[in-house]
Amino acid sequence: MKVTPIIGLEVHIELKTKSKMFCGCDAYHFHVDPNTHTCPVCLGLPGALPVPNLTACQWCIKLGLALGCTPNKTSFFERKNYFYPDLAKGYQITQFEKPFVINGKIIIDDQEIRINRAHMEEDTGKSVHITEDGQDLTLIDYNRCSVPLVEIVSEPDITSPEMAKKFLLKIQQIVRYLEISDADIEKGTMRCEPTINLKIEEDGQVFYTPLVEVKNIASLTGAQNAIQFEIDRQFKDFKSDRQVKSKTNKTTRGWDANKNKTFLQREKEGSSDYRYFPEPDIPHMTFTDKEIEDIKKTIPELPDQKIERYKRNFSLNNYDASSIAQDINFAKSFDKAIRDNPSSEFSKFTANIFLGSIRNYLNESQDKIDSSKIDPSHFKNLFDSIQKNEISSTVAKEVIVESYKTGKDPIDIAKDKNLIQLSDTNEIEKIAQQVIDKNPKAVNDYKKNPNSIGFLIGQLMQVSKGSANPQIAKEILEKLLK
Amino acid sequence: MDFTQATIKQLRQGLLDKKFTAVEIVNFFLDRINKIDPKIKAFITITNKKALEQAKIIDDKVKSGQDLGILAGSIMAVKDIFLTKGIETTSASKVLKGYIPQYSSTVYQKLIDQDAIIIGKTNTDSFAFGGSTENSGFFTTKNPWDITRIPGGSSGGSAAALAANLCTFALGTDTGGSIRLPASLCGVSGIKPTYGLNSRYGISAMASSFDCPGVFANYIEDIAILTQIMAGIDKNDATTSANPIPDYHSSLNKTNLKGLKIGLPKEYFTDSIDKEVKESVLSAAKELKKQGAELIDVSLPSTDLGIAVYYILVPSEISSNMARYDGIRFGQSKKDASDIVSYYMDTRGEFMEPELKRRIMIGTYALSSGYYDAYYTKAAKVRTLIKNEFIEVLSKVDLILAPVSSTTAWKIGEKVDDPLKMYLVDTYTVCINVAGLPSISLPCGFDSKKLPIGFQLIGNFFKESTLLSVAHQYQQKTDYHLKKAEL
Repeated sequence: MKVTPIIGLEVHIELKTKSKMFCGCDAYHFHVDPNTHTCPVCLGLPGALPVPNLTACQWCIKLGLALGCTPNKTSFFERKNYFYPDLAKGYQITQFEKPFVINGKIIIDDQEIRINRAHMEEDTGKSVHITEDGQDLTLIDYNRCSVPLVEIVSEPDITSPEMAKKFLLKIQQIVRYLEISDADIEKGTMRCEPTINLKIEEDGQVFYTPLVEVKNIASLTGAQNAIQFEIDRQFKDFKSDRQVKSKTNKTTRGWDANKNKTFLQREKEGSSDYRYFPEPDIPHMTFTDKEIEDIKKTIPELPDQKIERYKRNFSLNNYDASSIAQDINFAKSFDKAIRDNPSSEFSKFTANIFLGSIRNYLNESQDKIDSSKIDPSHFKNLFDSIQKNEISSTVAKEVIVESYKTGKDPIDIAKDKNLIQLSDTNEIEKIAQQVIDKNPKAVNDYKKNPNSIGFLIGQLMQVSKGSANPQIAKEILEKLLK
Repeated sequence: MDFTQATIKQLRQGLLDKKFTAVEIVNFFLDRINKIDPKIKAFITITNKKALEQAKIIDDKVKSGQDLGILAGSIMAVKDIFLTKGIETTSASKVLKGYIPQYSSTVYQKLIDQDAIIIGKTNTDSFAFGGSTENSGFFTTKNPWDITRIPGGSSGGSAAALAANLCTFALGTDTGGSIRLPASLCGVSGIKPTYGLNSRYGISAMASSFDCPGVFANYIEDIAILTQIMAGIDKNDATTSANPIPDYHSSLNKTNLKGLKIGLPKEYFTDSIDKEVKESVLSAAKELKKQGAELIDVSLPSTDLGIAVYYILVPSEISSNMARYDGIRFGQSKKDASDIVSYYMDTRGEFMEPELKRRIMIGTYALSSGYYDAYYTKAAKVRTLIKNEFIEVLSKVDLILAPVSSTTAWKIGEKVDDPLKMYLVDTYTVCINVAGLPSISLPCGFDSKKLPIGFQLIGNFFKESTLLSVAHQYQQKTDYHLKKAEL
């Protein structure tokens, strides 16, 4: 028996535009007093009309282009009709027949995952269920109502929970590169709803288990665990009831992260009828080739391209290149640090610092990198000093973190701390002569046993207060004692 | 001066010349409303306090020599589906009773900004669903020419208020004939502009792709002035046109009737039209011919599909537009429901009028999966067909002349039990809405029962200036628009 999971993902991204999707209200809604970011339009008052937020539409297209999608020249909004208290108008304005962008793909571990579409829609308000004076109450906050959402729909090309997680990470990474959303799953600015079933091959026959859509996923781990749970559950169910997929047996299940299992929410998904029809309040939208081209121009270097460039130009290995490119701000800071001297050697040196001491520091302090604190000249000076043997690589690691924290030049820090290596041979020779003159016994010892030079080097380092380059010191002592 | 027959310009000039004050005008109309409206029932709300407040401000402006708005001195009646900030707006439905809007509709505000004085909110079929005002959640308005008859609808309260001399002009909306039909049956003039000329923002929606706010007035000249103020792009309505608005008033005499081609579509002059109505409408055509226009027989073969298309697409949009009336954020609601679904059902069941429910059900059915293609998609295609036929005809003629209603005003109650009969009263108006074209209805005679008859002129997209000019010149040669019911 061969079992292949078939997984498709619907990913919602809440855009961080200034205003909402169809009105001028402030779109920010975290920890804001309830119902303060509202107006006749997002409250669905009589006579209020939606006017689309052009920036949001452009960002949807931008994201689609970054996912390799093709824009529909003409697209339109539609109404999805259903009743719910936090859906003010009694319908959600979304796209159905003609989304802004279609047919894209992203590559995960050399495997192509097709993107069916990315479309523009609006978020709902929030229902808060509370108990007050023994009464169950539902309070509604419309601050989130009509905040712009992009929905990305993948084809069912994902075959494992790990791949699903990588897919989500990739989407998150691209969205953050485009700076159109924080794409934070925990905060709900990125949401995912996987649809899962199994292809089971047995004795030359092929079976497909019923489709299950999983909701209420609030973390990346949750997504991975929920999918794994469904794979196991569906396989077990199939073995006992041998039910196969039909047009009417799609179900919706919720993910319970505490119990680590899914539970049945709604049966017969196929029978719900949203009565989609073209939104008559908004004219069809057409984007010219020039407008699409202009949107394309706003797309920055994307993660895959960045990784390729790091590998090609700086001979970084795949792991290092990917590590730097992982987070847009980290990569931006790195790119800034090497801005003035993008040579292979310097870049490699800087990459090591970023992946070493800077990342360690950020991890320890649980801080995010701040590219404004990166000064390209600091990295350049540090690099040059190492080249000139003025600074050891150990010292470099220490002072660069200090420099990042304080904004001071790392060389100044090294000087203040007396960490500059003395590599001037004349200077060292003077000190060496002093040490030889003061330690006749040790000189005699050395003449008998050259291995005992360590003592003299130690003395020299002491006199130089540790600043002498030990290698050079040894060479000079040897020369003088010949 | 007889305030009831005064034009917008005369009222403003009279104020400037200090012949009378705005307070005098308001008091005159309030007195008249108090006397006459109990018989007509044109108004749901009379805004006497607000009207006097506005009048005082205008009089102060006159005293201190400040500029007066174009509409200073004019008394405005407003269909109760236009949101008026701080003034109860019911859409003539129990579901919205008690609702005091937090904002005003764009076109209403534009008129207020020009010093129009609001005297009250007028009755309509609830949410403008109907052609007689009998679907109002509160009461039926009477036709001033015969109070046993309907005034037409849905903007029947506005048309009746004007016909009964209770205002200078009145606001209405026309989704399938709701301005032109009552204008015709009440013997006043009204314009349904091109879809997209006037903003729909702040007017409770019936069918978003059809709704057209417009205005009733005694004189086409006044309609030109009002349309000038109301028209134009609105950042709050994405379907308003960015076309520049021409100067309607100064072009009132500019269209040369000599050689003007007027199309008479044969589908609008069949035997299903009352003989007296047909004769009267044809005499209007002859009058224009006398002034030099050329009458041309044309054909709009898909006319008979208009009602079918309309009563699929309009209820579809209605079914969705009415979803917001759930009793949660505004309007009346049943508070004692046990769960959210019964809350919706109880509230909508109790407070929505039968015609609302009927249209919500028709629309919900037409949009349902399995029926969508057969109804909605097909109707949308026929809509394009009807529109293209008009475009074709209007490439050959300058405008089209047609009747508005096949009969004069009918008796109250005559058609209420037969929804289909009621839907058919819009036969000669709906296609214009299906196509989105502009049309003006104006009086052209009376039948033997002394009930007014109207005709409509239909123009090309955004050619209101031609329509207004021809209608104005017609009024210069006729006096039907000057006749008023004796009350």
